[in-house]
Amino acid sequence: MSWAGPEDIFLSTSLASYLDKKLLVLLRDGRKLLGVLRSFDQFANVVLEGACERVIVGDLYSDIPLGLYVIRGENVVLIGELDLEREEIPAHMVCVSVAEIRRAQKAERDATDLKGSMRKRMEFLDLD
Amino acid sequence: MSTHLDLLSPLLQLFFSYFKELVGKEVTVELKNDLAIRGTLHSVDQYLNIKLENIRVVDQDKYPHMLSVRNCFIRGSVVRYVQLPPDGVDIDILHDATRREARGG
Repeated sequence: MSWAGPEDIFLSTSLASYLDKKLLVLLRDGRKLLGVLRSFDQFANVVLEGACERVIVGDLYSDIPLGLYVIRGENVVLIGELDLEREEIPAHMVCVSVAEIRRAQKAERDATDLKGSMRKRMEFLDLD
Repeated sequence: MSTHLDLLSPLLQLFFSYFKELVGKEVTVELKNDLAIRGTLHSVDQYLNIKLENIRVVDQDKYPHMLSVRNCFIRGSVVRYVQLPPDGVDIDILHDATRREARGG
């Protein structure tokens, strides 16, 4: 990120305009973190205050509080500015407890593993 | 503070200048994690980080967490494609500029 002069503030890719705003940070491992941007640098390393991870499984979601986070820039995919006037989450989705979302995550993982192992067993059939 | 443009590959400077011409145009950025985002190109920098405004996520139902995101910053390193409007650029000018760069200009 280039350091912008005052007149460049409108054209700059600097994260300065996102400071003290509540943001959504997408990470390379698929995690979604929400928090207030307190600091950043040219590598897109960021400091998020009051961070939480939003876990979504199907129509269920849960926010897991994390506290003060420093995120290494190489893991950052996207930083989104949340529009406070819009719904953060579709209305049909249900907020559940951390325990329940963990159970849902495990169930989803088991289903994917089962699908994967079944596919492996079918591979020898060479149906494709 | 210097922007270290002279340290980057000359071809990267070419693309940086090229994208600067596209500021204000509608583009679709496809990321390496398969997420595709359409929006107005607000700004670009020497690392080809991209800021988009008024975004619309392609296949929004798959990405419910993005619902209230209006503007975003995309790290250059995660971009797979940037889809441009067909009349977005003069191809001949780009051709000439590239030939000049290749020649070692």
